[in-house]
Amino acid sequence: MARWAMVIDLRRCIGCQACTIACQMGNDLPPGMFWNLVTTVGPTGSYPALRLYHIPRPCFHCADPPCVPCCPTGASTQRDDGIVIVDQDKCIGCGACIMSCPYGARTRNEKLGVAQKCTFCVDIISQGKEPYCVSTCHQRARIFGDLDDPASEVSQLLVSENTMQLKPELGTDPHVYYIQP
Amino acid sequence: MSENGEQIRKSVCYFCHQQCGMLVHVKDGKVIEVEGDPDHPSQGGKCPRASIWMKHHNHPARVNYPLKRAGERGEGKWEQISWEQALDEISAKLDQIRQESGAEFVCSAGGTQRTHDWARRRFMNLYGSPNVFHVSHVCWIPTFMIETAICGWSPFDLDLPSSRCVVLWGHNPAEAYMPEMRAWTDAKRNNGLKIIVIDPRMTESAAKADLWLPLRPGTDAAMALAWLNVIIYEGLYDEEFVTNWCHGWEQLVEHVQPYTPEWAEPITWVDAEKIRAGARMYATNKPGNIQWGVAVDEIGKPGGAAMHARALLRAVTGNLDAPGSDLIPGPNQSMLTDEEMECNECITKEQLAKQIGSDRYKTCSWPGYSKISGVAKQVWGKSPPTEWMCEAHGPSVFEALLTGKPYKPRAMLVLANNTLLAYPDSRKVYKALKELELITVMDYWLTPTAMLADYVLPTADWLERPTLTNTYGCSDFAICSERAVKPAYERRTDYEFWKGLGDRLGQSEYWPWETLEEAKYYRIYPLGYDVSSYDDFVEQVRFSFPEREYYKYGRLGFATTSGKVELYSQTLEELGYDPMPRYIGPAENEDDDPELAREFPLVLIAGSGTMPYYHSEHRQIKPLRYLHPKPRMQINPTTAKELGINNGDWAWIETKRGKIMQVAELTEIVHPRMIFVERGWWFPERDGREPELYGVWQSNCNVLTSGEPEHCDNMSGSWANRGLLCRVYKVAEEDCPHG
Repeated sequence: MARWAMVIDLRRCIGCQACTIACQMGNDLPPGMFWNLVTTVGPTGSYPALRLYHIPRPCFHCADPPCVPCCPTGASTQRDDGIVIVDQDKCIGCGACIMSCPYGARTRNEKLGVAQKCTFCVDIISQGKEPYCVSTCHQRARIFGDLDDPASEVSQLLVSENTMQLKPELGTDPHVYYIQP
Repeated sequence: MSENGEQIRKSVCYFCHQQCGMLVHVKDGKVIEVEGDPDHPSQGGKCPRASIWMKHHNHPARVNYPLKRAGERGEGKWEQISWEQALDEISAKLDQIRQESGAEFVCSAGGTQRTHDWARRRFMNLYGSPNVFHVSHVCWIPTFMIETAICGWSPFDLDLPSSRCVVLWGHNPAEAYMPEMRAWTDAKRNNGLKIIVIDPRMTESAAKADLWLPLRPGTDAAMALAWLNVIIYEGLYDEEFVTNWCHGWEQLVEHVQPYTPEWAEPITWVDAEKIRAGARMYATNKPGNIQWGVAVDEIGKPGGAAMHARALLRAVTGNLDAPGSDLIPGPNQSMLTDEEMECNECITKEQLAKQIGSDRYKTCSWPGYSKISGVAKQVWGKSPPTEWMCEAHGPSVFEALLTGKPYKPRAMLVLANNTLLAYPDSRKVYKALKELELITVMDYWLTPTAMLADYVLPTADWLERPTLTNTYGCSDFAICSERAVKPAYERRTDYEFWKGLGDRLGQSEYWPWETLEEAKYYRIYPLGYDVSSYDDFVEQVRFSFPEREYYKYGRLGFATTSGKVELYSQTLEELGYDPMPRYIGPAENEDDDPELAREFPLVLIAGSGTMPYYHSEHRQIKPLRYLHPKPRMQINPTTAKELGINNGDWAWIETKRGKIMQVAELTEIVHPRMIFVERGWWFPERDGREPELYGVWQSNCNVLTSGEPEHCDNMSGSWANRGLLCRVYKVAEEDCPHG
């Protein structure tokens, strides 16, 4: 069994939003709905002493995801490979999971009346492809792979690079890691 | 072809001129998926634009049939006609104009190469008009021609990963050239490449740089001259190269003596020590590159001096055609170049002399082209193309339409060019276009410009046409890509447009190729591969990169009069220009015109590329528009506070030419005295008819810019998008756009 994870290299991300749009097109999301926005941090400081970087934000597929136990219908579940999914047939659109996610990764599909989010492109990774946000990235800022495989690039990067998780103090243990800018 | 009937076509995305490789999955004649091609030099990525191919290809607002104006100009009434009728009527009018007035009375405005421009020039040469132009005077061509005058062919080719330093001078690959940005980042991570960014704004590229020099817009000449001063007077130059391979070294040493970093500091607003640090970093991390960018082509009046001085930096450091430095590709020696397809021998010198603007701006028009390319050809055996490098001057054409001097053109054939948004002083352009008897526009959309046309013709998109990538016909390589599907509806390529007109005007013998693939096969045939067609070549070979040869000048000399790099340029001197670059201030500034500066105290930056758009394209593509719904101007928070402007307010930006409004983004990205405005804005969701024209007057940055002779570079004709003076104030509540 795999344990899917992603490493995002903030030294490489240029905030172009290619991942945002590739995700939207690949997952056939309506205009204006995003599972994968990129947040710009800065510029901080005063011209010309400035700092600027970007944080792409997919679902973090946490080891302990708060969005799963809070779901009253059992629509939100975590698979054995770590991917957190929402069963669209069971979801009643109550919004509990949207409020519980500390990372703002979930969004409401108004047309369907359900909660949705990044799935690590579960349908295409099962065919051996990379998630849309990964294959589209010109800068190769995103690396996707199996943490249970010590030879995988994601495993190697967690060893070799100074990575961080967002809000580690919450104990959610996100499986999206950032290499700091 | 796979078992399920799916075929993969090797294509390139042409939503910008980077031309990234795409693998297009086709089934039953329809595109079902587009993937980035990992085997292409672009390495398989897709930017936001590449992902919306389906929205573009199938958009309900696309022009799919030839349209003929049925009401008054701009009334938006169209009659659908056949291609045959359109070509018959247009060619009849062209014939009439040539007989009554002369061929030069017909002009053509083109765009950033979503077209096959050798075919346009072929037609126009055979027809007899030299009045062909793009927006090239603000897009690398001035740089190319000055660099070619100095060293025999612009050294624009890179040699990563041997490089140790790159200067991104007015160039922001992080927003404009995704694969290039990755190459820089890889080289920085893997080889410790130093990246220097020279840009007024803290761009994405500047954010990733080792050194950022935040100069005042339009003062690039001062920066380059100061670098020359530092490199020469600190002894950081390449003595062997300047001794053996440069003409005019002694003169240059004397010439740049006054241009110290202390002299440049108050001009550029960059600390003298920082200027020194940049010059030292470039000169001591050899080999190094000054990568091509187009900002310096957009500063107008001082542009020629700036690109001239910048070009000399390569020579004094010996960063020319050496491993890892800027390489001189020269023309493609194996296949037929763009120039060889243009039929340049078919137009008379008498007609060429009538090229509008060529009496004043010579390096990128017939007087300079003939001289510079003539010398180049003696060494290389081939010339750069006349498309791009030898053109009429757009703003001068519009001036001619309004004044009748030197004569008043009667027709304009427009392709891939949204003229009302593409040229400086848009209100003047509008008045000029109204003077034309015939306007034809070939485009994807009914743009504001197309709304003024007499005929609008449907054009094929990148999925529907084959593309040959060769850096505007100036590089030694070729990347060949095939069309994925046949054009839908009655969309055609521009080649068919020119051939259709040519066949009707007695040029049939010059148009032997029925399709673009036939023409391209003719071009690549001399490469000598055993292939049966152009598509066969794409499938089996696709890339033609000649073996790299360094130090070609050792064998050939430099393609200049002296055979050396001309630090003192005899060619420029013979054309009546400074043989060495002399400092010229920004197009508008407080020293030259203090009164203007009191009225317009801020410095304008216009014309930059911004994701996810390209030029004036893609505002009707919803996924992209949701990312970036409104035109944004950038203003420093300190300045905004003084002016009572809050984040998200609509703000007027006004120059001597006119005013527009954009939404204020308060950000430290710009200096307190700089204002950045976005380019290309029109609103496809609004009424396209006159006077609204899709809101073309509301936020279009070219309402502000200038193409007046006093603001243009005398050498190239580059006009001023940057370094102009402006003022900013809040838009009153009742004047703010709704929605």
